Amino acid sequence: MSDVFVVNEKAYRTKKILSNVILYAFLVFVAVIILIPFYWMILTSLKDANVMEEIPPLLFLTPSQWKITNYTQLFQLVMSGERRGQPLFPFFVYMKNTVIVSLITTAGTTITTVLAAYAFARLNFKGRDAIFAILLATMMVPGEIFILTNFLTVAKMGIITFEQTFYQALIAMTLPFMTSVFYTFYLRQTFKQVPNELYYAAKVDGTTDFGYLIRVMIPVAMPTIITIIILNSMGAWSAYVWPAMITMKDEYRLVSNGLRGAFTDAGTGRTDFGQQMAAATLVTLPLLILFFAFRKQIMRGVSRSGIKG
Amino acid sequence: MEIKMVNLTKIFTSKNRKEVRAVDHVDLVIPTGKLIGLLGPSGCGKSTTLYLIAGLLRQTEGQIYFGNDEVSEMPPEQRGIGLVFQNYALYPHMTVRENILFPLQNLKVPKEDAKKQTYDMAKLVGLEELLDRKPKELSGGQQQRVAIARALVKKPRVLLLDEPLSNLDARLRLQTREEIKRIQRETGITTVFVTHDQEEAMSISDEIVVMKDGIIQQMGQPQDVYDHPNNLFVAKFLGNPQINVFDGEIVDGKVLIDGMAFAETKLPNQKIIAGIRPEGFVVDKTKKSPFKFEIDLVETIGRDTTLIIEVTAEESTLLDKKTFKAIVDAEFRIKPKDVVHFIIKSEKIHLFDLDGKLL
Amino acid sequence: METKNNWKAWLYLAPMLLLMSVFTFYPLINAFIISFYKGYMPLRNTVEGFTLLGNYLVILKRPEFWNAVKNTFVIAFVSVPISIFLSLLISTALKSIPKLTKFFQTIFFLPYVTNAIAVGMTFAVMFNKTYGLVNLILGWFGITAIDWIGGTSNWGTQMTALLVFTIWESLAFKILVFTSGMQNIDKQYYDAAKIDSASKWTVFRRITVPLLSPIILYISITSMIGALKAYNTVIGLFGTKMGNPSYSMITIVAFVYKFRAELASKGYYSYAAAAAIILFLITVTFSLIQGVVAKKRVHY
Repeated sequence: MSDVFVVNEKAYRTKKILSNVILYAFLVFVAVIILIPFYWMILTSLKDANVMEEIPPLLFLTPSQWKITNYTQLFQLVMSGERRGQPLFPFFVYMKNTVIVSLITTAGTTITTVLAAYAFARLNFKGRDAIFAILLATMMVPGEIFILTNFLTVAKMGIITFEQTFYQALIAMTLPFMTSVFYTFYLRQTFKQVPNELYYAAKVDGTTDFGYLIRVMIPVAMPTIITIIILNSMGAWSAYVWPAMITMKDEYRLVSNGLRGAFTDAGTGRTDFGQQMAAATLVTLPLLILFFAFRKQIMRGVSRSGIKG
Repeated sequence: MEIKMVNLTKIFTSKNRKEVRAVDHVDLVIPTGKLIGLLGPSGCGKSTTLYLIAGLLRQTEGQIYFGNDEVSEMPPEQRGIGLVFQNYALYPHMTVRENILFPLQNLKVPKEDAKKQTYDMAKLVGLEELLDRKPKELSGGQQQRVAIARALVKKPRVLLLDEPLSNLDARLRLQTREEIKRIQRETGITTVFVTHDQEEAMSISDEIVVMKDGIIQQMGQPQDVYDHPNNLFVAKFLGNPQINVFDGEIVDGKVLIDGMAFAETKLPNQKIIAGIRPEGFVVDKTKKSPFKFEIDLVETIGRDTTLIIEVTAEESTLLDKKTFKAIVDAEFRIKPKDVVHFIIKSEKIHLFDLDGKLL
Repeated sequence: METKNNWKAWLYLAPMLLLMSVFTFYPLINAFIISFYKGYMPLRNTVEGFTLLGNYLVILKRPEFWNAVKNTFVIAFVSVPISIFLSLLISTALKSIPKLTKFFQTIFFLPYVTNAIAVGMTFAVMFNKTYGLVNLILGWFGITAIDWIGGTSNWGTQMTALLVFTIWESLAFKILVFTSGMQNIDKQYYDAAKIDSASKWTVFRRITVPLLSPIILYISITSMIGALKAYNTVIGLFGTKMGNPSYSMITIVAFVYKFRAELASKGYYSYAAAAAIILFLITVTFSLIQGVVAKKRVHY
């Protein structure tokens, strides 16, 4: 056996304890590594300009040393450069946009996904498996390919102009993302687990297909649907490329967009880390709150999608 | 290799602090080279006992010895045991050959020897043709033989089997239990198996151990235990159909059930429980015996006939049931409503006090 | 009996298929088409001529493309195996401890619910030469400060920082999936292995990993695909400059976007399309390779 210790009957117990200690130590070490960036992000955001200059950097601040100047500066107006006259990081504007986009895309995706998953799981029609295979294949295609043409499509709709209205930007940001093959696949798996007998019994009772969907399938699969809703909403937070591409005005943008580059002074090239981290914290916080609120669903949903896949 | 258990106790504490004594101060000696059946109803502690011997569970109190070695503190891999799980636990991704080889590889047996031993073991259990199959391609009985081979290949001191036949269909069960007996005979290894099926235990064990609520009720050769049960529980547990149980009393040296004297005894006067085996009722062709009953139902299985006799409410001296059964030879063509005279074999009557202890 | 309700089923599929036609199928085909034409002017929708592979050749001749390929491959082929190995180890440790499993699982999952750019910026701050945490810790071990991603940094240190960030970020999903997979393995196999005198390492190598192999394969393929598409992480860590010197850390996807941005330049859109399709082919190739390798080693 692969032990370091001398094995005799008495040492069995000691070995057990020792191996547990090592395991816990390892896991704590990993946990610290995972948590360090979060800690550093928040810590740095609470350091004002003077403290930031300290070398080596401070590892810890007592609550009395916390300064929120970085946060207040985020909302001050920019003096120069292309964003003159606008707040440095209008977090709440970005948040509002992100939430709206998230709501719309989630609603749309949920509806299309539920309908499509139902068709693939329960209904019988010619070409079903072929279409499904094609859809699965599209999952392998990098999104960048779609973006190229989608940009042109959206442009043709007359949305990419200097007079872009908020609603136009909104349409551009949401329309391409109102459906998801991945979630359809995932939900189909769940739907398929509902026994056939239930369907036959319902049919004998005179239920229509649609009625069956509404009254049986959806309630039964509700945990999965909720997981999809939650995961989808969280997706809007990470959206970066597309919103950057199609929004013409800063106040339409989403949280990721304003982050990079906003805090580097064009003249000196020096980046204000404190402000940067404050913005990063603000952006990360809602996600963390969502996570802790729905921890069980999120983790269960993600792990099951991994297994089935 | 003799297995000795001294004062062996295992207590499980459930989440709401309730304590369950799965094994309760058990003293047991399993003689070398014998096939022993650990028998009892669900929850009696037999599987727990097996797992304690294996070392997969740690005892709360007591010691376990293999021969002269105390193994109580040893982990399973050091005890030198082979264990056949109820569900076989064959590694699904390995072939039969690799499954059997696995323990030898872990014990660092040289390759050539390991190959030979694997082949020999496969031959012993009759699977040498299937060495390159995967478990899922095998039938239940074949899978079990692989499990046995894997357990035996490392030449353990002790072989343990957890409900080896319960996953097999009826026909296969009969076949396989003979296989187990044969393999045990050929290898001579001390073997303990757990079962809830008394017929199974009786048919192949050298000795059986009957357990209930974590306590050993009786141990001995199957026929002995059957003929001389120590208590009511053992008497009821062994025997198919079950022994008939009556209320009775001893008055002046006579065992009275329902007013009729069934036997003579030297025991003092007292209320008793009388058990009479179904085969203890013999048809009296002379029709002179005082025991006559009207038959309610008749069941034939060709070899013998089961007569079911109902006892009406007033006279009910039967415990738990409304009917009692007699097994007679099929030559008597008995029909329902016939009145039959019986002679009762006294050796088939067992007397117990009201707590179920043998008198 | 199930009736073939042909037309109604299509109704259910209609919303999804409609959206996908416009935003998935059409763009896919269109991308191919654009890539075959010369001098495409997206804004005016004119082309200059058919060229089939001409655009592809232009891409393949660009040193910047090969730089992007190099970077992307390093990211993919270093971070994926390391993160799979680490997460397997961590999942095994998680499975072996008696208590606090849920607690650790929650912590380990945190990186998944974050924004790559926000965290990337944090890593940039941590890797900063003067004010960074990494150099501070290295200083405790007597190692002089390294310029990881600053003005004097080289490709090696930048890539290291990027790999650390990428691995950190990718552990969460893998740990969760592997842990669930391990929980689904029947405990009896581990009991049997104990009795078969298997050491902890043997159990891991010959029982846990093989029984987990379908999941490992799935993770392997999806992680590889994800890593080949690395972009947000690069922007997060290096900003739009993408490294020092500029664009030295460019990935294939970033390369595609760079071309796309040149809307007014003739034919550049086609280059972007061609590059994107090359990426697609690379992705498919490696997925297929993994699938073939899997046939021999994955046990179902």
